[in-house]
Amino acid sequence: MRLLGNIRKGIAVVALLSVAGSFAAAQTVQKYRPPVADLEISMNEPMPPGFGVQQTDVDGPVFTDARGMTIYDWPFRNQELGDPGDHKDNASKCTDVKTTVTSGSAEIYPAGYILPDLDIRPSCTQAWPPVLASADAKPVGKWTISERPDGKKQWAYEGMPLYTSNLDTKPGQVNGGMRRPILDGQPPPFRFPVGPPALTPPAFSVKSIATGRVLMNAGGLVVYSFEGDRPNVSNCKGECLKEWVPVLAAATAQAQGEWGVIERAPGVKQWTFRSMPVYTYILDKKRGIVGARGTSLMANDMPGWHPVYTQKWPDPPKELTVQDSHIGQVMADKNGMTLYTYLCADDAWDQLSCDHPTQTQTYRLAICGKGSADTCNKIFPYAVAPKDATTNNLLWGVAWINPKTGRLAKADDPGAIHVWTFRERPIYTHGSDKKPGDARGDSWGEENGLRNGYHAMWIRDDFFGLAS
Amino acid sequence: MELRMRAKKIALPTFAALTALVIGAASASAADLPPVVKDGKISYVLTHRLWTVQSNDEKTECPKGMNTGPREQFHQLFPDDGKQRTVVDTYLKREAEQALPSKDSYDPFPYLEAQGPIVHGMNLDGKVKKSDFGDEEGHKGIDNQMYRAIGCIINFRGPSINPIWWYENEYVRRYVANRLMIEISGVDSLENDDDVTVKSYRGMDELLIDAVGDATGQVITPGGTQRIDERWGKMFQATWKAKIVNGVLITEATDATIPIFGRYLTTAVLPIRGMRFELKLTPQRANGVIAGYTDIEGFQRYINQSWPQHYHSNGEMPTISMFHAIDRLADGYPDPKTKKMTAISSAMDVKMTQVFIVPAEKPQPLAALTDRQQAAAQPAK
Repeated sequence: MRLLGNIRKGIAVVALLSVAGSFAAAQTVQKYRPPVADLEISMNEPMPPGFGVQQTDVDGPVFTDARGMTIYDWPFRNQELGDPGDHKDNASKCTDVKTTVTSGSAEIYPAGYILPDLDIRPSCTQAWPPVLASADAKPVGKWTISERPDGKKQWAYEGMPLYTSNLDTKPGQVNGGMRRPILDGQPPPFRFPVGPPALTPPAFSVKSIATGRVLMNAGGLVVYSFEGDRPNVSNCKGECLKEWVPVLAAATAQAQGEWGVIERAPGVKQWTFRSMPVYTYILDKKRGIVGARGTSLMANDMPGWHPVYTQKWPDPPKELTVQDSHIGQVMADKNGMTLYTYLCADDAWDQLSCDHPTQTQTYRLAICGKGSADTCNKIFPYAVAPKDATTNNLLWGVAWINPKTGRLAKADDPGAIHVWTFRERPIYTHGSDKKPGDARGDSWGEENGLRNGYHAMWIRDDFFGLAS
Repeated sequence: MELRMRAKKIALPTFAALTALVIGAASASAADLPPVVKDGKISYVLTHRLWTVQSNDEKTECPKGMNTGPREQFHQLFPDDGKQRTVVDTYLKREAEQALPSKDSYDPFPYLEAQGPIVHGMNLDGKVKKSDFGDEEGHKGIDNQMYRAIGCIINFRGPSINPIWWYENEYVRRYVANRLMIEISGVDSLENDDDVTVKSYRGMDELLIDAVGDATGQVITPGGTQRIDERWGKMFQATWKAKIVNGVLITEATDATIPIFGRYLTTAVLPIRGMRFELKLTPQRANGVIAGYTDIEGFQRYINQSWPQHYHSNGEMPTISMFHAIDRLADGYPDPKTKKMTAISSAMDVKMTQVFIVPAEKPQPLAALTDRQQAAAQPAK
């Protein structure tokens, strides 16, 4: 398998050397290597000096600054009463001004209420340092230069001003945001990692879902591979073709990089990825309903078949489990109790997040405990990790937490507990869940938990695409 | 092109339905059974569901008008008077009280309960009490305190630009996650049968929509097929003993949970204690009422976790006050220790459409993989 991987990388390099223009693999020095078998290869785009591409656990290759820190953008989003965020080809709205009151843009409430914990609330640029350009910087490819309100120059990618996050301290982290699609409804305008497109033929795309970077065909359906196939040989014939649809390639399609073309029958070509023929599943659907954002993954545990990822997420800690629930599968603790993440962004115009243990805990303590940490810890208890638990990646982790404050603690602090984390945020169970598969705490909180609340960690959803 | 695709989409299931009709006609054993009853079974899928709220006599039902919503309550509590207020003391406090309802939540607002004497529902406790309602057919003892609690809220009654009731009913049809079905078995007659069994399932498929449609474009055609969601939908499966009297299915009471997924990307369900059906049956439709005691905590979760704050506000649903009203009016399933009622009598108007239930394909067991691979590896003939 490792040999096959090396061969694949070799093919990628050949492709890089042999293919001109945009269809070429990125070359970059990695400062962090996600502990997974395969890494996504991205298109090699021209970049200004000093920037790079870094592999991440969650979102594959992302652009980084000279320190290796992930770069983000902040696309505006229409809210009920305003549209915070940056507009394409416009100057950044993220300034040095420290916001002290609400903007009234997202809720039923008027503007002007004093924000909590102002002593630790940063300015927008403290939370999201702009990626500044030197006075003599020149645009390169999709990279342009915008002028900030204070006159400084700021790099932009595809017209969007760029930032780093003060929550990232190591190359490979994406603690500031994830590439997964925006939840519909009225969520705050999140920040998103910016990266080069994946190296795929035009008939494919790559999408970040709750288990990795999954490959999709032109119709938006997840692509699968079959254990019964051999490298560059499809054994899915006859009855098999009633359920599985080979992803066909045009007569003119060419093998490039990790992508190959085999001939199923005279004149009928099929794409392969990493040497394995690829298919779609006949019962999968691209969600057509308003609000459903993903495709289904109906066959993700069909024996012998596997969704094809350009890069999978690192495995969760072995102490965690996966449970069946009423819409699909959900991450759970060792006892099978559903795990939840907490999501928060305040209602100030700069929409700073409030879901990290270094940030204000006031919102969380309100929505899960009416301000009482004791109540909160009963409604959404921390998912406690063994004291000696460790992880080998930047996605799943552990932290010591003071449960009375929700802030980070030291191991020897009185009352400190050791908890599982996801992107450096604690994860939780829910006090009303009684048995494995219960998910009564899902969508808990303001805006169904999109602005200040909890969400079950869905990894498969056959109905709404919550995991995709 | 779109029209052609739509016609194709409709044509295939319609052909299947017609075929099934023919087969059904050949196999029906009882002379009075319609051909869609096969092996003593007929099934229906839910296509319409609304909390029973009369809406034709607002002056009688809500003589003091409608309740005002959280936006209006907020402005009353925190008027634009120039005072500097904090997030913590204002909207976080209100949101916390909504998320964690309790009788101690600050709620100085008068609450307008529905006053009308008539509403759909069932006599759930077999008694005729002062607090009960009657229905339009003259039945007495209708237990439906949910109507009293929510009957004067625009979100459940209208009119409004974005009432929850409209979306909920739309999502019954639109979201497969809400695909509630019943299968009636042991059917000897759709007119009178003193012993039938009803089982509920969640389906996995889109509805069969008529090519022409009515004014809303939502005519659901009988004869579609639905696979049972045996994997994720177990919690929606329940069984009732029942009888059919003069064409009306009347079930006994069984605890059940129904899917009630509200706004997309939310996953709330609704437990109903002692849930019953009363449905007028035809070979094509089953229309009537689902009634029972709605679990209060389940109802709170469904309201809070299915519908975001701006839906509460747009439909002028004073959520904290409404939770208090439901708590106050709860009339079923007292907690053995505290004696506090944990459920409230309620009813929903429902419409169901005949459907053929087919077994779902299950993932192949791992042990079969080798055979499967071998079969798959055979050259196509």
